[in-house]
Amino acid sequence: MNKIITIAKKEFLDTFRDKRTLVRMVMIPLLAFPLILYVITTLQSALSEKEAAKVLEIGYVNWENELGDELISNMSKDTLYDFIEYSDTASLRLDVESDTINLGLFFDEYFDQSYKADTAAHYHLYMRAADYEEKERFDILIQAESSRLLNERLATVDKGPEFSTPLKERLDNRSNQQEVIGKYAGGILPYIFIAFLFMGCMLPAIDLFAGEKERGTIETLLTSPVNRLQILLGKMVVIVAMGLISAIVALVGLYAAIQLMDIPAEIMSIVNDILSLQLITTLLLLLLPLAIFFAGVMIPVSVYARSFKEAQSILTPLNIVMVLPAMVGFIPGIELTFTTAFIPIVNVVLATKSIVAGTPDFLLIAITFFTLVALSAVAVAISIKQFGSESNVLRR
Amino acid sequence: MIKVTDLYKEYQLNKKQQKEFNTTETTVVPVNKISFECQPGRIFSLLGPNGAGKTTTLRMISTMIKPSSGSINVCGLDAVEQEGEVRKKIGFLTGSTGLYERLTTDEMIKYFADLNDVPAEKFEERKNYYYDLLDMHDFAKKRTGQLSTGMRQKVSIVRTMIHDPEVVVFDEPTSGLDVISAENIIKLIRNCKEQGKTVIFSSHIMTEVDLLCDDLAIINKGNLVYKGSMDEFRSQMQAETLTAEFIRIVNQA
Repeated sequence: MNKIITIAKKEFLDTFRDKRTLVRMVMIPLLAFPLILYVITTLQSALSEKEAAKVLEIGYVNWENELGDELISNMSKDTLYDFIEYSDTASLRLDVESDTINLGLFFDEYFDQSYKADTAAHYHLYMRAADYEEKERFDILIQAESSRLLNERLATVDKGPEFSTPLKERLDNRSNQQEVIGKYAGGILPYIFIAFLFMGCMLPAIDLFAGEKERGTIETLLTSPVNRLQILLGKMVVIVAMGLISAIVALVGLYAAIQLMDIPAEIMSIVNDILSLQLITTLLLLLLPLAIFFAGVMIPVSVYARSFKEAQSILTPLNIVMVLPAMVGFIPGIELTFTTAFIPIVNVVLATKSIVAGTPDFLLIAITFFTLVALSAVAVAISIKQFGSESNVLRR
Repeated sequence: MIKVTDLYKEYQLNKKQQKEFNTTETTVVPVNKISFECQPGRIFSLLGPNGAGKTTTLRMISTMIKPSSGSINVCGLDAVEQEGEVRKKIGFLTGSTGLYERLTTDEMIKYFADLNDVPAEKFEERKNYYYDLLDMHDFAKKRTGQLSTGMRQKVSIVRTMIHDPEVVVFDEPTSGLDVISAENIIKLIRNCKEQGKTVIFSSHIMTEVDLLCDDLAIINKGNLVYKGSMDEFRSQMQAETLTAEFIRIVNQA
């Protein structure tokens, strides 16, 4: 045991002094989310403000409809909209296509007649789908006019506004806010954990085996009075710990990013409730065997590889294979069941999602845990076999 | 003392390796039933051209790899059955310094002392002895990655000797080193002899062998082609120089 501790202590020291490892495993997970969210929210708000302040140029063709004139006159009162009259629809369409104007509006030839006959009066709108937010701005204006005209019609038959709404729903949502957040946002949390757990394990796994072979230090270590199992376990402790550190740092980064966002106090209080001691303990319990499993998958590759680069070229694509199942959390409707609890990675994601939503089934979570423990035991056994093989360890 | 008897090593080749080595053979034999003895207080040199099987032999003696058959006895211990005990008796040094670049000299030495269960008081005593001998105090706190090749070689020497091994194995220890660094190794080998340690080193540099060794064995393609003392070798020489004699023996085999 002392030898394992000696090796683990040395590997921790060595790993923490590696700037490349520190940046990838601590700095990136810590700063990634605050930076990404800051950039996105800043850009989004800057773009929204710019878009809202922009005068929307809307070309129109009216065919001398009185109602059309009235609508244009009313809508033109808003200075953020500039209505430009066109004589024909062909040039109106061309100008929309060439983005000379934002939208093209023309009223149907029988617009007045249709309205007066108490039927729907049609108007046509030319738009570019890529500029959907411009249509949304126009919709606000035209809906206001439509409501005004509806009220006028209802007044003529002495009916109130509810006349046009024969059915009205009174929604009583019985699920709590945590459940809603868990259902829609619960998938992101385990995804982040798993992605950073894998990345956190990868670099030390490569460095501590393939790197050691490349530097020629493995030979001196193998001639020391330490057996291979002790060497393997000493190094594995560090790989697993670094993976967990990376995942936890990512969570801290995400929490910091949420704090930076302008989130209402009510939602923030739910987020704080979600990040409970129970969630963090259960997550760590699930992530520990998962980290051992990841280490158990990476070590044989790293032991076999001749160099750091070779190990990296094999493990980087493996990253996609391992992290892809973690995306299952984004798919609605998939839940932790007696089937999914046996599927590694998927089970961690769904278990976490259920805890975040406040609907955990502890029997299924226990199955998840023991499935991961069994799997990690298999992975460790493979690692031991590979590290015991002299042709792999000394392969150059 | 090291006693090697009928030492044999065989590797199975898979198809990929057959292609890599351009052969149809399913096995490769780097060491073929060789026997020799290295005595305490004497320097034994294992000679041979590249690929002769020197490194494989030394790796088996150092318990890094297991022989396919035959036996290795180190200080009365079986290198296969008692590999852990054998490792405590052995110091292993190669030409590549094999240092952890992010550790300081002190940390590096302490790490290997701990792995070898060196008691604290002995550690300080031995460390100071070698630091004085090799003039290492100035870079004790420096990371080994920042050291010159000569300094690194000194660290590597102390790392090898910190547990005071009875047997020291040098695998082409001066290969790739400059003259000054190589001189440090030669001093160390002599120092080991003076202390009564068993020394075995592999080389293909005859001047180095001439300078240091008491006994030698020449291997070629895994087979032992010469074994005897250095004095016998010199007296039986048919060629004009040691290098020419070495080449003659290898070619004759």
